[in-house]
Amino acid sequence: MSQGKYDVILDTMPATESRLEIMFRQAGDGFIQVEYGREQRAMLQDSFRMLAVNDIIMGKELKGLIETVPGIRTNLLHFDPSELSVDKLIDAVKESEESMPTVDDVVLPSRLIHLPLAFEDSETKKAVAKYQKEVRPDAPNIINGYNLEYMAMCNGITVDETKKMILGTDWFNSGGGFWPGGAFLWPTDPRCAIVVPKYNPPRTWTPEGAAGIGGPCVFTYTTPTGGGYQLFGRTIPVFQFACKHPMFKDGPFLYRNADRVRFHEVSEKEVVEIYGHVHDKTDYTYEIDQGEIKAKEYIEWFNSEEVQKGAAELKAKQAEGTKKAPRL
Amino acid sequence: MLKIINGGIETLVEDWPGRLGYLGKGMSASGSFDCVGLGLANVLVGNPSGQAGMEITGGFFEAEFTDDHVIALTGTDMQPTINGEPVEMWTSLKVSAGDKIKLLHIAPTGFRCYLAVAGGVDVPAYLGSKSTCIFGAYGGFDGRPLTAGDEVKFGAPSADLSDLTGRKLKPEAMPEYTNQWVLRAIPGPNTCPDYATQEGMDLLFSRVSKIQHTSNRSAYRLEELPDSFFARTDGGVGGSHPSNIIDHAYAIRGALNICGNTPILLVADGPTLGGYMCALNVINADLWKVGQGAPGRDFMQFQLATQEEAIQARKEQKQWLSEDSLA
Repeated sequence: MSQGKYDVILDTMPATESRLEIMFRQAGDGFIQVEYGREQRAMLQDSFRMLAVNDIIMGKELKGLIETVPGIRTNLLHFDPSELSVDKLIDAVKESEESMPTVDDVVLPSRLIHLPLAFEDSETKKAVAKYQKEVRPDAPNIINGYNLEYMAMCNGITVDETKKMILGTDWFNSGGGFWPGGAFLWPTDPRCAIVVPKYNPPRTWTPEGAAGIGGPCVFTYTTPTGGGYQLFGRTIPVFQFACKHPMFKDGPFLYRNADRVRFHEVSEKEVVEIYGHVHDKTDYTYEIDQGEIKAKEYIEWFNSEEVQKGAAELKAKQAEGTKKAPRL
Repeated sequence: MLKIINGGIETLVEDWPGRLGYLGKGMSASGSFDCVGLGLANVLVGNPSGQAGMEITGGFFEAEFTDDHVIALTGTDMQPTINGEPVEMWTSLKVSAGDKIKLLHIAPTGFRCYLAVAGGVDVPAYLGSKSTCIFGAYGGFDGRPLTAGDEVKFGAPSADLSDLTGRKLKPEAMPEYTNQWVLRAIPGPNTCPDYATQEGMDLLFSRVSKIQHTSNRSAYRLEELPDSFFARTDGGVGGSHPSNIIDHAYAIRGALNICGNTPILLVADGPTLGGYMCALNVINADLWKVGQGAPGRDFMQFQLATQEEAIQARKEQKQWLSEDSLA
């Protein structure tokens, strides 16, 4: 391909044993997009590496770099071109990439956040009922007044198995966006990787703390809003506009890039009480462990016979489930 | 202070460059939709050009000053009056306690009017900015448009009111309004040959498209593109439509999202991330024009630009929105 007027790839880095090919794509006069690989794929190992490199880029404290916005396979760099040139920025990314030559080097700081979860609580049930009454009375994803049975059907498993999968894996935050304070949470264990379609059309209301899943990602709603994820329960606040609780003293957000979320089941009463302790009394203690992800260990575990066997079994059930479950 | 009698169609507190640095937290920059209108109004009243002012969209705003102030009105001509008497725009005016300001509807060109007051609007900054994000209901004045009964406070002026009164712009500093806005744009990140066809990109950069009436502070929607725009038949793992890709962050403000066959310019309060390709970015120095484009009336056209031109245009705009523009 000759140099055309719509060529947007400013520079590239070749693929190596531990890294996909990198494309630096032009995105206006204040952004570049760093894209990993040419294939549209969503693999956590790509995200681990990108976020570890992102930490190195941020550590350079480049003057004029406003922010970075990692997705699952791209990183958007937002900068002020009057303070930082594109060439200098690309050089800084290249240098950061090259400082991490092998997969052994990919060690990502990652907090583990324990979140209480009440399955099928009355607040999220209200949201489902409102949708059925006002938006789509014949919604096939509502069975017995909720979405859990439809979620199970799509994956060819039981409701009990669905709950066990939600509780049985850690959910990795590949980066936020989309809604204030939100995070896209991906299952780290492929044996728990349930997949569901999104609402069609979307809901007009979802309560704060609602926990839902759309495609492969879990989302915990930060504020009351519309939304399209299938609802399975409610967790505690992960966002606070007023920044009153000590957890939110530096900003309204709980989630950071590379966090892992682990849900544990509690009663609805317990979840509701925690709302009072976060927003009013501001004395709730969030349960957060510091930790890290070693990409090499994860990839070895992921590729192990036991994990791959379990993942294949779930995929087979999902293929059957997809045939049976009505489309939305 | 300003007591609001009628907030009109939509009046928001906005500053510039807005709330930068929170895209990854799902918060777009918001900010003045036309930073030239706000910037020149601020310069006229002796404020820094990015100081918070009032962005009046559509019109029918009405309010009463409770003290003496110096103000300036810029943007579309909403036939402003004070106590029923017509007043000039694009100049700084002294107002006194008890004066009532009233605006009518938009002029044949332009869509937003800016009201700056010497000292700037005094609301608490939220995450570094006084801008309102109307879509997320935060920032600015309680995260919402101004409404009857609200009392808007102002900071201290930079000089004596008499020294700030009667300032005007050089004729060449007046922005030119039109019904067909030419927006300089840089292609990317998703173009030909991998996402769009050469023919499709040529069409995108040559056609004139009406701004759809469904446009707002998050998104300016344009006319649909033909299927021949796309180089792919589907979006692979990203989805069934060729505009789908695996979610990526949007380079806002100014990214052109291709959502199905509809091109959508993501602006002030737009989404920060999603699963649609982006074919171009309006250059930062031309974003202001989008804010003066009236949905359902005006047209837009993209003109191919380079990064070098865009950076030069940023410098020129910085100069433009300074005291150098005063007569």
